[in-house]
Amino acid sequence: MRNGGGRPPGFWGELSQLVGAVGRAMGVTLRNFFRAPVTLRYPDVQRAYPDRFRGILALTYDTETGEENCIGCRLCEYICPPQVIKVEMLKSEKRNWAKTFTLELYACEFCELCVQVCPTDAIIMLKTFDLATADRRELLLDKDRLHALGLAHEASWATGNRLRDMQAPPKPARAAEGAKGEAKEPAE
Amino acid sequence: MAVDARQIVEIGYGGSERLTMNMGPQHPSAHGVFRAVLTLEGETVVAVDAVIGYLHRCHEKLGETLTYVQYPSIASKTDYVAAMTSELAYVSAVEKLGTFDVPKRAQYLRVIAAELQRIASHCLWLGTWCMDMGGALGGGATVFLYCIRERELILDRFEELTGARLLYGFHQVGGTRYDVPAGWDAKVRETVGVIEQRIDEYEAMLEGNPFFLARARGVGVISRALAEEVGVSGPLIRGSGVSYDIRRAEPYSSYPDFDFRVPVETAGDCYARYRVRMVEFRESIKIVRQALDGLPAGPISSRPGVKSVGQIRVPKGEAYARIEGARGEVGCYLVSDGGPKPYRMKWRGASFSNLAVLPHIIPGHKVADVVAIMGSVDPVFGEVDR
Amino acid sequence: MAFIVLNAILGLVAYVTLLERKFAARMQSRIGPYYVGRPHGWLQPIADALKLMLKEDVVPTAADRGVYNLAPIVFLVPCILIYATIPFAPDLGVADLNIGVLFFLAVSSLEIVGLFMGGWGSNNKYALLSAMRAVNQIISYDLPFIFAALVPVLLAGSLQMSTIVAAQQGLWFVAYPVFGQLAFVAFVVATLAAENRVPFDILEAESELVAGFRVEYSGMKFALIQLGEYAHMLGTSFLGALLFLGGWLGPGPAWLGPLWFLLKAVLVFLLVTWVRWSFVRIRVDQILAISWKVLLPASILLLFATGLWVATRGAGA
Repeated sequence: MRNGGGRPPGFWGELSQLVGAVGRAMGVTLRNFFRAPVTLRYPDVQRAYPDRFRGILALTYDTETGEENCIGCRLCEYICPPQVIKVEMLKSEKRNWAKTFTLELYACEFCELCVQVCPTDAIIMLKTFDLATADRRELLLDKDRLHALGLAHEASWATGNRLRDMQAPPKPARAAEGAKGEAKEPAE
Repeated sequence: MAVDARQIVEIGYGGSERLTMNMGPQHPSAHGVFRAVLTLEGETVVAVDAVIGYLHRCHEKLGETLTYVQYPSIASKTDYVAAMTSELAYVSAVEKLGTFDVPKRAQYLRVIAAELQRIASHCLWLGTWCMDMGGALGGGATVFLYCIRERELILDRFEELTGARLLYGFHQVGGTRYDVPAGWDAKVRETVGVIEQRIDEYEAMLEGNPFFLARARGVGVISRALAEEVGVSGPLIRGSGVSYDIRRAEPYSSYPDFDFRVPVETAGDCYARYRVRMVEFRESIKIVRQALDGLPAGPISSRPGVKSVGQIRVPKGEAYARIEGARGEVGCYLVSDGGPKPYRMKWRGASFSNLAVLPHIIPGHKVADVVAIMGSVDPVFGEVDR
Repeated sequence: MAFIVLNAILGLVAYVTLLERKFAARMQSRIGPYYVGRPHGWLQPIADALKLMLKEDVVPTAADRGVYNLAPIVFLVPCILIYATIPFAPDLGVADLNIGVLFFLAVSSLEIVGLFMGGWGSNNKYALLSAMRAVNQIISYDLPFIFAALVPVLLAGSLQMSTIVAAQQGLWFVAYPVFGQLAFVAFVVATLAAENRVPFDILEAESELVAGFRVEYSGMKFALIQLGEYAHMLGTSFLGALLFLGGWLGPGPAWLGPLWFLLKAVLVFLLVTWVRWSFVRIRVDQILAISWKVLLPASILLLFATGLWVATRGAGA
């Protein structure tokens, strides 16, 4: 049996090395036997998702007026790398709306770029990912479905304005106020 | 050892006692989709014909159709095991082209991300290599599960930072997209401390273990001349005696601020590459600690946050940026014609060049050594096939 | 009697697989089977058995039908037959032969025939390669296995299993100075190799040969092969417990004997499992080198030394 390089240690040397190595390896295994297992018994137990978890997408309503936030500007459609979002704008006097909004979740990359560009914080990601289904058509989310998801699950921290604020270099006024850039918007 | 590729495939059962055996692309230890047509004489491999391309997803074409704002999240999918370093190559190239500067805080965050990613990637390397050598139902699986358990700790940290566990979209041109959440600093220090102790455990299990040494010493020797000629990089070339690390040779992203050692071994066999990576574990932990200690306040990006798809324009020109990924030199070559998308993007994948050394080092070994060698070369086929 | 023993053994073997999976899982910081029969997965062996019985029986078109179909049976029969010779208590056993140990060792080696038939009949390069390696390895390690098993026979002065246990009234052979202890170590190492357990499992080598000679088998035939393997494994554990750990001897009333025996056999099994989950495997040429250059000379020397010791001290020390 081949052993290390250099001068061969001789029979008893090799034997003691073997016994030592065997003992160490089995010792590590035994030590791990007594450690608590790290398995999480999903789905009986759910993991606590961090604030910024990028889960499935949803559309939101304005918290004060209850109106849909989406103004149909299509910025998310243009930025999406796999082009899974399709929006039609509905023009109106005071503000615009989204006439239709479809998102093909089965092709979505979950890159959060659509959330990043949204000027009205309309599209967000949720702290859940579990939408498994046997029918792919159920993953073609239309506007109603997206709004329903937004109401049903907890939202992640990230919205368009928060992300852009986090990334923007500080304006001179803010720097004069002595704002430290360490953690601009600490996650809630 | 040059063997004509066509000749191997035609031999089959005829002629002398050579047997053609196909390993992959579906194979429990192929590290991805990789096909190796081995020509065997008894149990000894006489020639290797490597077939790649099973994971080709047209990244370079995507680089031409997506803008500088969209592509960084796609770049992580080339070397998907070490996504942070893959994205860094692309944004570094764009920043070179457009001469954008990156704020100091962003540079330090990039370093923390890259080094944590290196630790996670090496955890995966060690686990899968031991599993290949030890079997899915044996001691190899034990080391694999320990390494994955440690890797999960790092992925938890990344999840708190970016929201994703494998493909992050953390970098953007001009800086990073996310800043650290409250309390992350302390958690990373704790994680890194735990991993440092666990690495001691892995070394106790493997170091000096005659079974392991018998499989790894003297196997798959890459001589220094061969390494330099074929163009391997990363732990492969450092295991063959050449002290070349891009973090020292062409420093990027504030690496000169940190004090770390570049490990070099001269033997060139699987054991040498194993030693190089084990030292890199500890050095990466050192760098993470130094970066956290010295993390400056400031903005995380020199450009305003992304608001539209064509937001970043770079002047005409070309640039090549290279970084030290977990597997070697990852490079991105960009040619721009002034628009929002590159005219041409060429990706230099570390594993692609590293794989080229296989037909030179495998012949002469037994079949069982093929998996050991593949594991120590540590290819990721996202980088190979792009 | 035989009927009861057969069924009990089959049930025990099934649950021993669950025990191994749970034990291995704990060593790897995880829980083993959990969902089937929460929270401890105690229905898992039943679920596995049902699954295998309901699976389609796929036979490769180019396979040698007769050999292919017979192989699982030829493999399984010796593995179950060895239990006929094991006494579970002084009078509880199918056949406590006065050449018990010899019969056990002889019959347990017959599994190689079934193994090779499986590899040959599958008409698959990988299966054949693995079957050839297996024959090599098992033949090489059966010799040290037999020599190590013969040391307690010499120390007890009889091939009959109940006599060997009775001879351990005072001191179990595993603690017998030098001879017993070394013989136990040699026995465990040879068991690992004869059972194709890591670090000697080049036969299976999942990452190279997928499942070795079993690769073309599915459904009930695969179940029979798995059953045979684990039955053989448990059978040699019983033998180890009997030869070295004192069989059914233990504190308490006599009817507790079989339970002690079972506990000791399970301990030997877990020891082998512990080794299995701690090491990477070594190559086939290295395995054979260990056997012929190290283990065989060592076990022959040990046997001679034991013989000399017994002869000078009188039989049954």
